Amino acid sequence: MKQKLPISAEAYLGLFLLLILALLAIFTRGFFAANNVMSMLNRFSYILIAAIGMNLIILTSNIDVSSGNLISVVCLTIAALGKQNAGLPVLLIAAMIMGALLSLLNALFITKFRIPAIVATLATAQLFSGVLPLVVEGSIYDLPRSFTWLAFEAKLFGLIPGSVLIMTVITIIALLFMKYSRFSKKIYAIGNNAEAARLTGIKVNNVVLVTYAIAGALFGVSAAIIATASQRVTTTMGTGLEMTFIAAVVLGGTSVAGGSGKVLGTVFGAAVLSVIAPAVNYLGISSDWSDAIMGAIIIFAVIVSALRLEGRKQAAGGTAL
Amino acid sequence: MKRKKLTFTFTGALIVILCVLFVGIACINRVFLSFDYLVGVMLRNIVEIGMMSLAVTLIIITGGIDLSVGSTMVLSAMIGGIAAAQGGNVLGVSAALLTGIACGLFNGFLIARIKISPLVTTLATMYLYMGLARSFSHGDSVYSYPASQWLGATDVGGYVPVQIFFYIILALVFWFILAKTTLGRKLVGIGLNENATMFSGVNTRRVKMIIYTVSGLVCAFAGLIWLGRFTSIKYDAGSSLGLKVVTVIVLGGTSIMGGIGDMKGTILATLIIAVLNSGLTVLNIPIAAQTIVHGLILVISLVSYFILNNRVIKSRIVAVKSGAGVV
Repeated sequence: MKQKLPISAEAYLGLFLLLILALLAIFTRGFFAANNVMSMLNRFSYILIAAIGMNLIILTSNIDVSSGNLISVVCLTIAALGKQNAGLPVLLIAAMIMGALLSLLNALFITKFRIPAIVATLATAQLFSGVLPLVVEGSIYDLPRSFTWLAFEAKLFGLIPGSVLIMTVITIIALLFMKYSRFSKKIYAIGNNAEAARLTGIKVNNVVLVTYAIAGALFGVSAAIIATASQRVTTTMGTGLEMTFIAAVVLGGTSVAGGSGKVLGTVFGAAVLSVIAPAVNYLGISSDWSDAIMGAIIIFAVIVSALRLEGRKQAAGGTAL
Repeated sequence: MKRKKLTFTFTGALIVILCVLFVGIACINRVFLSFDYLVGVMLRNIVEIGMMSLAVTLIIITGGIDLSVGSTMVLSAMIGGIAAAQGGNVLGVSAALLTGIACGLFNGFLIARIKISPLVTTLATMYLYMGLARSFSHGDSVYSYPASQWLGATDVGGYVPVQIFFYIILALVFWFILAKTTLGRKLVGIGLNENATMFSGVNTRRVKMIIYTVSGLVCAFAGLIWLGRFTSIKYDAGSSLGLKVVTVIVLGGTSIMGGIGDMKGTILATLIIAVLNSGLTVLNIPIAAQTIVHGLILVISLVSYFILNNRVIKSRIVAVKSGAGVV
């Protein structure tokens, strides 16, 4: 692109999303049937909620590859509670606390021992996934009706799933928070230059700790949505999801070097990722291709954003991990 | 242990850990000590991860990372298997190796030319290659063919699996590259300060292209062995390999930030993981507990490296100003 267009990365992604949806509307039948849309929205909601948390972490130029396994742990924890007929409020709060605590563990390794985030979370990912099968044999099943209330009965106007409502609230809070709060400015500052942030009086370690805690709570909410979708909770509910979250964030234009990226981008990124798999199905392509298509789209998006930012990056000097 | 001799910490400590683990496990269960078990099971099971760790060590020393190794391995093994079903051994092996090279080149291209961060690139290509493997195989298994069978399931003299010799050769080659060639110096230079290395006349782009391509090639070779060892391969076989490889390398003392590390560490760490894996199996400890042990080992080694860090950095690099301090 020779000329610099005044269009943001989010706008491109939004257009891309619209294009996909338009193509689907023209070429497929039944894609926009209420059932399909609602199930897509449900998937969208848990991906987005967790991706907003991941976005916070990546903005501080850290990363979390343990979130998938963390979600598995939280899923089982609340399943154990659900077995005792605990209602949704209890489950949600428990999920958020559990998620925040586990995520704090990551943050402690990163801030106190100065272990690079990717390695620290790699290690905790193994810890989380190893603990589960020891505590639970395979799965917790025959969960009561109160446990699956969110997925099956909590519907606005008898149609819109409760999870979508939760997602909307969280997204709006996140948008406002990132725009107006002081804390979010600190996050951006740390992502851009941690040392400079420290010298201006920001308590870098504390901010990172809080960021991870918030993200962990969001992972917890996401886990609650995932777990309550069925009467059986297995030990691998969240396995591999971390890649989807990171992909959504990266697709949304957040730089993994930290310091730049918007929640709106993450929203679109998560939307694209949650539309693709069902879209591939409805277009009559074998579902075996969905992973490859998803990978190709991520790479394409990353290349486009890299080319757009190249000039700026060269000015900043060097590439960061 | 003498407190003052911290210069030898990494290699020395790794050897001590290895010996303690080995002796400890051998004391509890004698089966572990038999030659058949040590060579035929323990070493054989680690060869693929070991090989990939060698190649990825070079990448991590430049400050990069390659998470796509597992997917590259599976994809190349599959394309090799499919090609061999059509046109025999030669076609199969060359298709596999070419696929590996292509995967590596693509990574290198994105990282060195388009300047996307290695983490994002290889995360995305990990998805892509695994997805391609799934689409080419339609989700089914691909079966081994004579050439890969030979690599994965032959014993030299009836005792020693042939892939161990290949591992030793590769280990020597990679040790030589890193320790004795200018390429090795360039890698360390890139890891310490990429811009400075570039301005001192090193074609950093080409160097990066080379190491990612080599990584792809080694993954493809490991894929041949893997396919031969298990006689079939599915698209999700390599999903956690990338993380295992990084575990081995970090345990071996290579800094994930780049610039510090050597092959000895990686090789020793490979052996430690091998002893652990097989040892825990011999002791009838469930797989899940083994995962925890892996995680714990990684955490412990990282924390202890943190404690020793300053002294080691001083002893290993001469007066390096670490400008790129990361949170």
